[in-house]
Amino acid sequence: MNSNAAILQARGVFKNYGDIRVLHDVALEVAPGTTHAVIGPNGAGKTTLFKVLSGELFATAGTVHFEGRDVSRVPGHARVRRGMGRTFQVARVFGENTVLDNMAVAIESREAAKGSHPLRSLSVSRSSALLEECRSILAQVGLGGRLHERAGVLAYGERKRLELAMTLALKPRMLLLDEPMAGMSPGDRIAAVELLRRISLELSMSILLTEHDMSVVFALADRVTVLNYGKVIASGSPEEVKASPLVREVYLGH
Amino acid sequence: MSPNVGKAAGGASTQVLLAGVLLAGFLSVPMWADKGVIFLASVALVQIVFALSFNVIFGLSGMVSFGHAAYFASGAYACGLLLREPGVSVFTGLVAGGLAGGALAAVIGLVALRRASGNYFAILTLAFAEMLHILIAKTPWFGREDGLTGIKRPVIAGSMDLAQGDGIFYFTLAVASVLMAGAWVLWHCGFGHRLAAIRQEPDRAAFLGVDVHRARLVAFTLSGVGAGFAGAMYAPLAQLLTPEVAHWSFSALPILFCLLGGTAIFWGPVAGVLVFLGLEHSTRNIIGLSEVVIGSTLLVVVLVFPGGLAGGMLRLRQMWRRQPASSGAVQGGQT
Repeated sequence: MNSNAAILQARGVFKNYGDIRVLHDVALEVAPGTTHAVIGPNGAGKTTLFKVLSGELFATAGTVHFEGRDVSRVPGHARVRRGMGRTFQVARVFGENTVLDNMAVAIESREAAKGSHPLRSLSVSRSSALLEECRSILAQVGLGGRLHERAGVLAYGERKRLELAMTLALKPRMLLLDEPMAGMSPGDRIAAVELLRRISLELSMSILLTEHDMSVVFALADRVTVLNYGKVIASGSPEEVKASPLVREVYLGH
Repeated sequence: MSPNVGKAAGGASTQVLLAGVLLAGFLSVPMWADKGVIFLASVALVQIVFALSFNVIFGLSGMVSFGHAAYFASGAYACGLLLREPGVSVFTGLVAGGLAGGALAAVIGLVALRRASGNYFAILTLAFAEMLHILIAKTPWFGREDGLTGIKRPVIAGSMDLAQGDGIFYFTLAVASVLMAGAWVLWHCGFGHRLAAIRQEPDRAAFLGVDVHRARLVAFTLSGVGAGFAGAMYAPLAQLLTPEVAHWSFSALPILFCLLGGTAIFWGPVAGVLVFLGLEHSTRNIIGLSEVVIGSTLLVVVLVFPGGLAGGMLRLRQMWRRQPASSGAVQGGQT
């Protein structure tokens, strides 16, 4: 893989919380259009790495490049505007609002971030084009029938799908998904794997995800990076990683 | 149907009806009321603008500020100082008041929002407001504790004399209507939706590409502009300004109005002002009891309707609507 062609690239990333070193010289590259999984035991630093890559946290040392540009010191909302979408481990939606309103806020945010029509932010009515876009994306994730439901009353799996739909509405070129299957029922997981595979193929989306469920990882990922105690102990195709004795010992073994 | 706060309060016809009833009610006041009540109605309009400006940050954006009197006072004194001079238009005074409130809020917001943690922010806004209170109380130019006197009620456009008859009341009503319309737009526009999103899940909003810090600062500044306008409306109405309008107890008023009326709905604080001032007025002769009545009313509302009066009304309406739905067969004619 040519390093210049990577859509997302982390080099020499360290992250300290006070005296505790959570990430130690982590490097990672995601090739465009591929799905890259980060796995590791609890406390390995997956979530911290995820936060550093998405801009929720800044690395203590090291760099993060997105589409060839250094975004190490670019805050999360500005990375989103550059084409990174992200979901949370515990799905976050705007529970007081309807499913449709949640989507509309996402699309309005995308349009407002362009800044080309600043006065449109003051409009109190929504265009039919916007509502149509909401409906079409919600239909893609299977929430087409829940438009006027309050997001707070959705089942957990539905909330995760709504959050994914809101993120897709931003038209990102890359998705960062923090444990997309966490808290889902087995049935929901199968549907979600199918959905992510479809997004990956149809939109040729670049995806980086952290995940606990190995069956999900091996069903979706083109590349896998394994973290342990904040260090990368293996990186490669799912088969290579599965075959690595070190990985078996610290992770897959138990 | 599931309970849906946004839609239940947001039907366009309901909104227009509410605004119409409110306007008609205020317009009718000079027909049946004495001078005292007309003055009280003008004060209510000022407080409605003040409370609505506060609710932009409190109910909409989810920020708690304890020092909102500072922006009211800066608007009031800016307008009051200008209106002491001969020949200054009342509109100049109003705009100056709005700008003064907004400028002060922008500066305080820049400092206080750098660390957005709730309590820290609330206490810092209180500290700034108390500083302004002391500044006004000690500065001769502002009339010290004695107050700023000699504020004129000018003539508008050469014909409408605000010093005559009910001129100042109609003027206050007109300005309040415009400002309320502005607040309504802010509450219901795309930017308002993003503020509501920030209140609920700031991190999710940030990862929709919203600059949360900047949006909060803009909301805080706009809230200051509104409070400044309210102060500027108050100056020619009262014609006397004392440091009381910068005191922390004055900052408590919009908080009370919002909690009493309900923060989740645009019209909540309006109901809060009307009920609060109505109670205060009707119990004014029972010395010592006025506070007891108002205090216990607030207590009952907060305990029985955590969403304030407006929230309580919505809940009653939802219960009313759910009844025919649960009885099954009779729901055919439901609209």
